[in-house]
Amino acid sequence: MPLTLAEPAHFSVVEKLAFAVLGIASGALFWRRFGPILHKILESKRDPGFRLFPLGRRIRDFTWEVLCQAKVIRERPLPGLAHAFVFWGFCAFALVTLNHCAVGLGVGFLSSEGWFSRLYFYLAGAFAIACAVGILGLFVRRFLVRPSWLGAKLSWESGFIAFLIFFLMVTYLAAFFVPAASHEAALLWWLHTLALLVFLPIIPHTKHLHLVLSPATVFLSRGGFSDIPPLAGDEDFGLVAGADLTRLVSLQAYSCVECGRCTEHCPAANTGKILNPKEIILGLRGYLNEFGPKSAEPLLSKHIALEAPFQCTTCGACEFQCPVGIEHLPILVGLRRGAVNTGIWEDDHGAKLFLALERGSNALGMQATERDKFIQKQDFPIFDGTQEYCLWLGCMGAYDPKGREIVADFARVMTYLGTTFGVLRKEKCTGDPVRRLGNDLLFQQLTEANLDALAQNNVKKIVSICPHCVRTIQEDWKEYGLPPEVEHHSEFMARHLSRLPKAAQQETIVFHDPCYLGRYRDVYEEPRDIIKGAGHLVEAPRSRERSFCCGAGGGLAFLSEETGERVSHVRANELAGTGAQIVGTACPFCNSMLRDALTATGTSAPQLLDIAQLTARALPRLDSGNATSDVRESY
Amino acid sequence: MSGVWVILEARDSRIGRISWEAVVAGQQLGAMLGQPVYGVVLGANTESLAAEAATRSLGRVLRVEHPLLENYTSDGYTHALEQLLRVEEPDYVVFPHTYQVRDFAPALAARLGQTLIGDVTSIAAGPAFTRQLMQGRLTGTYRHHGHGTCFLSVQSGAFRADAMESDAASIETFVPTLEATQIRTRPSAPFRASAQTVDLGSASLIVSVGRGIKGAENLPLVQELATVLGAELAASRPICDNGWLPMERQVGSSGQTVAPKVYIAVGISGAIQHLVGMKGSQCIVAINKDPEAPIFEVADYGIVGDLFEVVPALAAAVKASKQQG
Amino acid sequence: MKIVVAIKQVPERDAQVRIDSTGKWIEETDLQWALNESDAYALEEALQFKEQHGGEVVVVSAGPERVGSTIREALAKGADRAIHTDCNDLGERDALGVARLLAAAIRTEQPDLVLTGLQSDDLGYGQTGVILAELLGLPHASLILHVEKSEEGITVRRELEEGWFQNIELPLPAALTIQSGGNKLRYATLMGIKRAKTKDVRRLTAAELAVADEPAVTLERIAMPQKQKSTQILSGTPQEAAAALVEKLKFEVRVL
Repeated sequence: MPLTLAEPAHFSVVEKLAFAVLGIASGALFWRRFGPILHKILESKRDPGFRLFPLGRRIRDFTWEVLCQAKVIRERPLPGLAHAFVFWGFCAFALVTLNHCAVGLGVGFLSSEGWFSRLYFYLAGAFAIACAVGILGLFVRRFLVRPSWLGAKLSWESGFIAFLIFFLMVTYLAAFFVPAASHEAALLWWLHTLALLVFLPIIPHTKHLHLVLSPATVFLSRGGFSDIPPLAGDEDFGLVAGADLTRLVSLQAYSCVECGRCTEHCPAANTGKILNPKEIILGLRGYLNEFGPKSAEPLLSKHIALEAPFQCTTCGACEFQCPVGIEHLPILVGLRRGAVNTGIWEDDHGAKLFLALERGSNALGMQATERDKFIQKQDFPIFDGTQEYCLWLGCMGAYDPKGREIVADFARVMTYLGTTFGVLRKEKCTGDPVRRLGNDLLFQQLTEANLDALAQNNVKKIVSICPHCVRTIQEDWKEYGLPPEVEHHSEFMARHLSRLPKAAQQETIVFHDPCYLGRYRDVYEEPRDIIKGAGHLVEAPRSRERSFCCGAGGGLAFLSEETGERVSHVRANELAGTGAQIVGTACPFCNSMLRDALTATGTSAPQLLDIAQLTARALPRLDSGNATSDVRESY
Repeated sequence: MSGVWVILEARDSRIGRISWEAVVAGQQLGAMLGQPVYGVVLGANTESLAAEAATRSLGRVLRVEHPLLENYTSDGYTHALEQLLRVEEPDYVVFPHTYQVRDFAPALAARLGQTLIGDVTSIAAGPAFTRQLMQGRLTGTYRHHGHGTCFLSVQSGAFRADAMESDAASIETFVPTLEATQIRTRPSAPFRASAQTVDLGSASLIVSVGRGIKGAENLPLVQELATVLGAELAASRPICDNGWLPMERQVGSSGQTVAPKVYIAVGISGAIQHLVGMKGSQCIVAINKDPEAPIFEVADYGIVGDLFEVVPALAAAVKASKQQG
Repeated sequence: MKIVVAIKQVPERDAQVRIDSTGKWIEETDLQWALNESDAYALEEALQFKEQHGGEVVVVSAGPERVGSTIREALAKGADRAIHTDCNDLGERDALGVARLLAAAIRTEQPDLVLTGLQSDDLGYGQTGVILAELLGLPHASLILHVEKSEEGITVRRELEEGWFQNIELPLPAALTIQSGGNKLRYATLMGIKRAKTKDVRRLTAAELAVADEPAVTLERIAMPQKQKSTQILSGTPQEAAAALVEKLKFEVRVL
């Protein structure tokens, strides 16, 4: 006799009535909490620039992230898989639970007799076992292993939920082992039902709200990485008060499952800063609960500290990791916009940066004539429309002694390849630091001036050594016009790799993935291919998507890092710890941050070289001397 | 009406160096135009100042003397000199370009319907006066028109006063009519900013130390140099990161921005984070053993050498120079 | 308390300077313009004073059409309204001529306090504020770093040479020229710029102000100075190099 799922025989009217009353009560309790949340989300401002279509990307993200649980598993394979089993178990149980309730009202539609039902019950049984094992594993992890990012406080509600899930699975599975229409079957049905009816109202009261909201959050997300929405109208200055919270932001605030992945990877939270990305999201939730989405109460006060968003390097590890579709960067940058566009953020270094760009052309506050001198010394041609590429110097490439060396070496590579290029006579900061710091006025001014200069010079293609410039030109400038095609020098050099000489020496090189090249641009292989031609590539413990920031992004290179350990030192120690002879970089900001930090690691610090420098080392030396990278005299 | 009149300014009860430079400029102008050169001193008790002025080839020295001129006030000086100039009607009035002159000379000139040509660096035939424009990126040549008095002030250091001839001049006294009510401002005694806290931003001399110092135990070497120079001690970021010096002494993008008269960078290679904090210094001296260090690109003077040898030698040389006076 | 701040638009610090065909001024066609630095400090002082004691800040600027952008910047940073004295011959006027133009515009406002920056970054006369005081008949003080309200008027901190300072009491109304660096400047914000659009800018012309002028002093020609900054490497033994440096510090830089 094969195993059959036992169903209770008959329900008395009293039983049916009791079930109906309890069901309605459970549903009502659910709605009493969920209704206001839904109301708060829908009452929030509409998202400017939001478009539902095309649906393809949304369906793909939904399938991958929700149905396949890809992000959950990829980041933390074991607990991720355990979670996936619980999730898939829930999915499989949707039909079973529907039938279970229908049975209580005497209208069950799956009978143990039919082959489909029988098969489906078996399938659900298999998922129930996986789910029970999964939830048990998660319980053990949370209450016995206790990883630090879950916080010091034990969450008893999580324990109770885990128990309920486990209990649901057990009461389902047990029904295979009792006779049909028996008292035991009835008892199991009722136990299962009661567990369900208790579970339902708990959902909106706890982080398990993500069961309901996160599929929608993933489906409706803006999609791009760190996609900063445009400001709408004359009264939109970013996230100032509740009235500025958009539906997406509110939805995301209520979707957080408090898993702590964002915190685990956050360079600020890891070096003793006030900022903790999870607390930002929960702070918004707390704000919405207390003041609601129409309030004029400032966001940066009771629930979120004013300094917190300004400690963000915008490395994007949080947003990249988040399994429930929360887009942290538009929120963090949005909070900065709110504080900067209205002038409430007061910071000496920040004001200095803004004033430097209000009065001059570059973020470093240097005289533009220094750039002219560098160009003259290097004999860089001025872009006149006849060359293929406009070589964008950027602030670091034009003024930083190290950045200049990188630019000079990259120019040598281009010359060697026979690629024509020219530099603009005048170039302003792309606006990257002010964009990330939330100064929309300056960002607009800089963008428009640059777009204008590029259009006047008829530039079609840009190449730059700076991933921040590349990102800002390609994505952020779109708000004010159509930027030319742009690529990073790693992409350019990787494409021409077959024509570039390989290095004779085989030093070990550890590559530091710049956030703005990796997570922001999805470029991981190109710099590695280049490094493989220049030496022996080794990987840092945290690399590629999980690379740890150097501390410069988000305008922080220009602010002072006052609290906690320096981000750059943490990263430098990690890179030096690989024992590699050379640290390979692909971003002048990373280069400048790691330069100081590496020397602090001790006397045997590895050498620090950009991929352009690594490539140029293998080029044949020119005799004439003036084309070599003797940039030092040029200040 | 005639003559070139030089208004002399007292510093610590003596005629200041820059005033002698103004005399030299006046004499140059006088020689060019064949005009006599006179000196003017102001105050409540100008006897010794006038005597000092009379030793330096001036045709006449005028003491503009009044009890209300004891301390400088713009109103007092303007009223007093206005009266003198209306009587004497000189062709030229030459001032040293000091903070005090900048405070009243434009108003004095305006009262007589004139405009001061300020901060003059050279005088050519015509006479044509040259001064800097666009913060030193350009020079401009100016001329005076009409028949009134031409007012000019000369930049410190533009005219060399070391080789002045000495001669004796007659001294006369001019007593202006001044009322206490005409002086509307009430200045109090000058003071120095308290030296309690580290204020690199207003320091005029800074000795800054970088990674080349190797260890905290070597800092006294640089401290000694700062002490003999009367300079503030500062550092690049790695020094403060290591806790060798407090954070408030850090110069650079994440520390202080400074603009002293002289910035001596010892063992600092010149990373951009550091350069942005000190590039506004008027004179930069770099001491570094690496001739390729980027700091030399921004430096006015460089010494390529081992700081452990150069710094003590420099401290000794400064000490010796100060002892000579 | 009504505070008038006279501000000037000057070529941006990074501007590439080229001499124009007349040889008397620089080519202005490609230039970008900014608020003169010490004027920014004067404005900041006025705004902080207003924030503390209440009142109104009115900015006055003379110059052609393009000056409008600098006026908007000042309004964005918090000035309440502005007067634009429209004229195309600012560079041909001497300091007295410019001050007369500004004084005519300011006089009707009857302000309690007139502030200007210490000097302009382009012509660098450093006289406008002092002459304004003279023309308006106001007591004045120059090189001011800090302003405080006192019982009878104001107390200001004046910078003297060589690290000395002096406090000065002035009755109101008064005029001050403000030195750079006394305050921390505020940055312009998007909100400020949007609010500035609704603020009042009154336009006056030199003719309306009835200020005609025959300058006593004229700028005849301009030139690029020859010398370029270059690094002098002092060589020799450490003792020789040190001695050479002390010579330089003593006689060229003149700090010892």
